[in-house]
Amino acid sequence: MIEAPDLSLSALSPFLFVFGAALVGVLVESFAPRHVRQPTQVALALVGTVGGFACTLLLAGRGEVTAAGALAVDGAGLFLQATIAGLGALSVLLFAERALDPARSAFVASAAVPAGSPRDRELLTDERVQTEVYPLATFAVGGMMLFVAANDLLVMFIALEVLSLPLYLICGLSRRRRLLSQEAAVKYFLLGAFASAFFLYGLALVYGATGTVQLAGIRQSVTDDGTGTLLVLGLGLLVVGLMFKASVAPFHTWTPDVYQGAPTPVTAFMAACTKVAAFGAILRLLYVAFGTADWTWRPLVYGIAIVSMVVGAVLGLTQTDVKRMLAYSSIAHAGFLLTGVIGLDAGTGSGLAATLFYLLAYGLTTVGAFAVVTLVRDGDGEATALAQWAGLARRSPLTAAIMTFLLLALAGIPLTSGFTGKFAVFRAAIEVGAWPLAVVALVTSAVAGFFYLRLVVLMYFSEPAEDGPSVGVPGLPTTIVLAVTVAATLVLGVVPGSVLDLADGAARLVG
Amino acid sequence: MGGIEIGTAETVVFWVLGPIALAGALGMVLARNAVHSALFLVNTMLALGVFYVVQEAPFLGAVQIIVYTGAIMILFLFVLMLVGRDSSDSVVETLRGQRVAATVLGIGFAGLVGAGIARATEGMVVTGLEGVQGGEGGAADGNIEAIAGLLFTRYLLAFEVTSALLITAAVGAMVLAHIEREPGSRLTQKERSRARFLTSDHPQTLPGPGVYARANSIAAPGRLPDGSPAEASYATGVEPQVVEELPPGDPAGDGRDPGAGRGHGPDAALGTTRGVTR
Repeated sequence: MIEAPDLSLSALSPFLFVFGAALVGVLVESFAPRHVRQPTQVALALVGTVGGFACTLLLAGRGEVTAAGALAVDGAGLFLQATIAGLGALSVLLFAERALDPARSAFVASAAVPAGSPRDRELLTDERVQTEVYPLATFAVGGMMLFVAANDLLVMFIALEVLSLPLYLICGLSRRRRLLSQEAAVKYFLLGAFASAFFLYGLALVYGATGTVQLAGIRQSVTDDGTGTLLVLGLGLLVVGLMFKASVAPFHTWTPDVYQGAPTPVTAFMAACTKVAAFGAILRLLYVAFGTADWTWRPLVYGIAIVSMVVGAVLGLTQTDVKRMLAYSSIAHAGFLLTGVIGLDAGTGSGLAATLFYLLAYGLTTVGAFAVVTLVRDGDGEATALAQWAGLARRSPLTAAIMTFLLLALAGIPLTSGFTGKFAVFRAAIEVGAWPLAVVALVTSAVAGFFYLRLVVLMYFSEPAEDGPSVGVPGLPTTIVLAVTVAATLVLGVVPGSVLDLADGAARLVG
Repeated sequence: MGGIEIGTAETVVFWVLGPIALAGALGMVLARNAVHSALFLVNTMLALGVFYVVQEAPFLGAVQIIVYTGAIMILFLFVLMLVGRDSSDSVVETLRGQRVAATVLGIGFAGLVGAGIARATEGMVVTGLEGVQGGEGGAADGNIEAIAGLLFTRYLLAFEVTSALLITAAVGAMVLAHIEREPGSRLTQKERSRARFLTSDHPQTLPGPGVYARANSIAAPGRLPDGSPAEASYATGVEPQVVEELPPGDPAGDGRDPGAGRGHGPDAALGTTRGVTR
């Protein structure tokens, strides 16, 4: 006789909402006539993500473990889930933009038609869209939300796959420059599969060392029996798998190519949501399972934080493409986030709250920055070469001003959310005595600031080219995204108090 | 923790199948031909299946053989055959020295992890399934019950979420491989046949190639009753072949078969020698 496990449906409600919307989306794809699919799918994806967001807010304050110990419902998890669902909803709005591209979507009409074939050229201006992107993106959001709440390495692994598989797919669905997009998808798929293998290998070793895959069980075993070679080896491999997803150098090599090749709304989605999800899992793994043996991971994280900041900032300087530049910026920011992860000190450190706040601020700013990238276009779609952005302020002062503000936030200038976030994570690192790391972080921030400012200077103080790109007039979805992200970036920079308090209150992990 | 003895048979099985499994894994990576790679992988998976059975997990062993070796690998082979099995690797290195670096780093990594695991598991006592998962409802009681118990209790969430993974995979395969055709963009059999009757002189199938003693190919045209080649039987895209006639018979014409090549022996009759003097 099997005892039924305790399963709190209310704790599961965010997942039920998101996965439910994705499943209905798949059914709509099969049965609804083509002309109603796009609006229906957008509505469904928004219902799923916003519903998930609302459910996590309703759950706020809960602290329990459910589904037979596989799922942790706690402050940090819910904060991150809400962040992911919210950013996911914003990304869906970007996906849904129909006013910018003459073909009315950033996504391909039919992904199976070979790129460059006569049929493909015929479909280039067709208003058909591969609307499967919406259920796929919703599945990815569900996987990410599960990833940050997984209290069990096995669930964490499955969530990792659930979030990755749709991303591999939607990376390759760009309407323009299809070969580049498909190359990005294949690259991401191969390297992602490789990283998953690392994670799985690490999982097996940790199971071998401790006899359990539950984070609480691992913590117990670490406390009772200490750490052996097998456990440390397993932890190392798990961290490699997670750092890959978070695009932390030296596991970042996929990032620039994939960010450049993927359709820009998907890039925004990946840059914001995947980073939040990956860091959520890193925090949970390191704090809950290995929190009592932090000497095993602290040097490792310390090292890769420095490598990531330096690689992101220095290689970002040499980029000539806006999307690649933002990709290297995301690598540098992953390093800054790791300084927050270092700032854990036996439960008293402010590292967890600082990292949560940073993730929220960075996610919002990044979605906004990529939304601006979708606006600047020429005849071939988006104009992403840096040179094409010269003199953009003359053509569209508002777009240039928004981009400037978001870039300043990424650089961490005061009165933007980036400054508050950086201040919080650096303070957390200094509190635990990791001041050398904070010094490196400050220096690399300054270096990274240079390439953000270079783009600002280019936009304002260069002569616009004759045949330069034009700035598209965004439709309602992109306008909403820009308004929300700019407002949030400003509010989190000027009056961050309430959100910082919220993050502080949420900074609790059960397990 | 009381250790148990490993029986001789188990040791023999391990030392026989271990190298086979390893060789299969290496062969899979090193084989140039994709089909050989897949077959090497089948080899490794079969060996692993036997290992599971030996380790008191008969259910897992059976599933390994039926599902992985039987179903998934055969699907792999199907796909390889459909895609074309002759597509081989390019030997051009886009990044200079990449292969050497990959080999060195790979061996280094394998050495590092292997040495670590060997060190960590050195002198470990063998416990057996009874010692680890015995007791009420444990795996030692019965594999299937224990797996069912775990699937529906501790791993319920993992089990359920896997469905999202499978759906994504199915949708992804459709997105990447299925070309939707507009209704009406392709003629039906009935429409095609009607069009044939209305427009062409040849509603029926065209005549096939001719059959000759000395030519057996699609290029050899059929003959009309008067002996001239039937143009309708010409294959598209192939130059029609002029079929060599049998050597003419005796010009004297004494009533015997003109093709028999009388007086010149069987070689001449079959035309296998050329330029034989009459």
